[in-house]
Amino acid sequence: MEASPVKFVDQLVVIILSPENLLFFMRICILFSLFFAIQVPGDVILDLSNMANQTLKLGGGLRQDGDSICVMKAGKLRFMKPNKYWVESSQKRYVPSAGDNVLGVVVDTKPENFLVDIKGPALAFLPVLSFEGGTRRNIPKFEVGTLLYVRVVNANTGMNPELTCMDANGKAAEYGVLKDGYMFESSTGLSRMLLSSPPHPVLEGLGKKLSFEIAVGINGRFWVNASQSSTVILVGNAIQKSESLSLVQQKIYLEKLLKSIQ
Amino acid sequence: MQETVGDEEIVTPGEVLGKGTEVKAGRGAYLSRENNTVYASLTGRRSVVPPSSESTDQRPIVEVIGHKAHGPVPEPGCVVIARVTKVMARMASADIMCVGAKAVREKFSGIIRQQDVRATEIDKVDMHSSFRPGDIVKASVISLGDARAYYLSTAQNELGVVSAESMAGTTMVPISWTEMQCPSTGQIEPRKVAKAGA
Repeated sequence: MEASPVKFVDQLVVIILSPENLLFFMRICILFSLFFAIQVPGDVILDLSNMANQTLKLGGGLRQDGDSICVMKAGKLRFMKPNKYWVESSQKRYVPSAGDNVLGVVVDTKPENFLVDIKGPALAFLPVLSFEGGTRRNIPKFEVGTLLYVRVVNANTGMNPELTCMDANGKAAEYGVLKDGYMFESSTGLSRMLLSSPPHPVLEGLGKKLSFEIAVGINGRFWVNASQSSTVILVGNAIQKSESLSLVQQKIYLEKLLKSIQ
Repeated sequence: MQETVGDEEIVTPGEVLGKGTEVKAGRGAYLSRENNTVYASLTGRRSVVPPSSESTDQRPIVEVIGHKAHGPVPEPGCVVIARVTKVMARMASADIMCVGAKAVREKFSGIIRQQDVRATEIDKVDMHSSFRPGDIVKASVISLGDARAYYLSTAQNELGVVSAESMAGTTMVPISWTEMQCPSTGQIEPRKVAKAGA
């Protein structure tokens, strides 16, 4: 009876350590650690010489260097079947890309465009006619500092991004000026969490008890408005604080917070 | 203080070139009526042109040839080589580097408008697919333009991007009149390519 565990372990070790299996086992281990650990720039995640006749789609943060796929940005590696890989990272700076909904602040007015700051490397242009029913006669007058919810139309490298306040059909949708309330800065990772599909726990919990409206821009900004400014401050601080907490900690924090407001 | 280079002197604006009774003011010089003296108005070499025999006025003409006057200046109709500096939605700005085959001595700015990029379908031109910042283009000067820049055009087969760098940093090879390919990564980038040849 006591001899058999040792024999079993011996056999298991023999199975694992045989050359073909070793490679397989190592690859499983690497893949396992790849998708759960944070990657840093320079890490090689795939060796293409072992994988022939496959097409891989590389998203942001990855680069092909000869025969290996290297990481360019620090973050978590993500994989979508069948063949998409990308690195998800969270920064305070935003890289504009077409189709994003962002919160912008007007910094200047020109005859043809409004210049809007969207936390990117360059100011974005919002054409004065990109509003529903916009003609030369009813150009909106925005003061410097106005907060707008806009959509990025195109963001080519080397050019200033172009924005619009209309959706694809030409309707105003939810785009336009955000009045009252207060805008908070966050990171791009927190914005993505707030917009994710199983709703953010803190956001959902606060929404059940308090009434407020919120607009989230993927560029690391969100805006909160409520009837009382104490609610705005509470919601804003709670969301900003929850970024560094894990799911369990978020639930505990939420309970404490809701108890204290009663 | 007179500085000489070779056998001509270098003069600066305001220097006396001669008396109004003895010399006539040519290019780069002017006559001041107060004291009837000819002064220089440019920095450059002073040169004296002897009077032509049939003119009544027998005074020699003194001229100042500025150093910038030695460099070529873009004129409407000439072909220039320029480097694209900025690409915007409706136009691209470029720094003119050569006029014909000669390099310019001072900075000239040019603008390539959306309607001057090519000859066909000019309202559907996408500036970002025609030029990128840093491209070397061959263009022709359409007009002197406004105070800021010359107006350039690439609306011919032989005009357009002559040399461009890919996003990886290597010089690209043209593969058609709308595309160039990077030899190291194989990526294809859109440009308005000039027809290769003389």
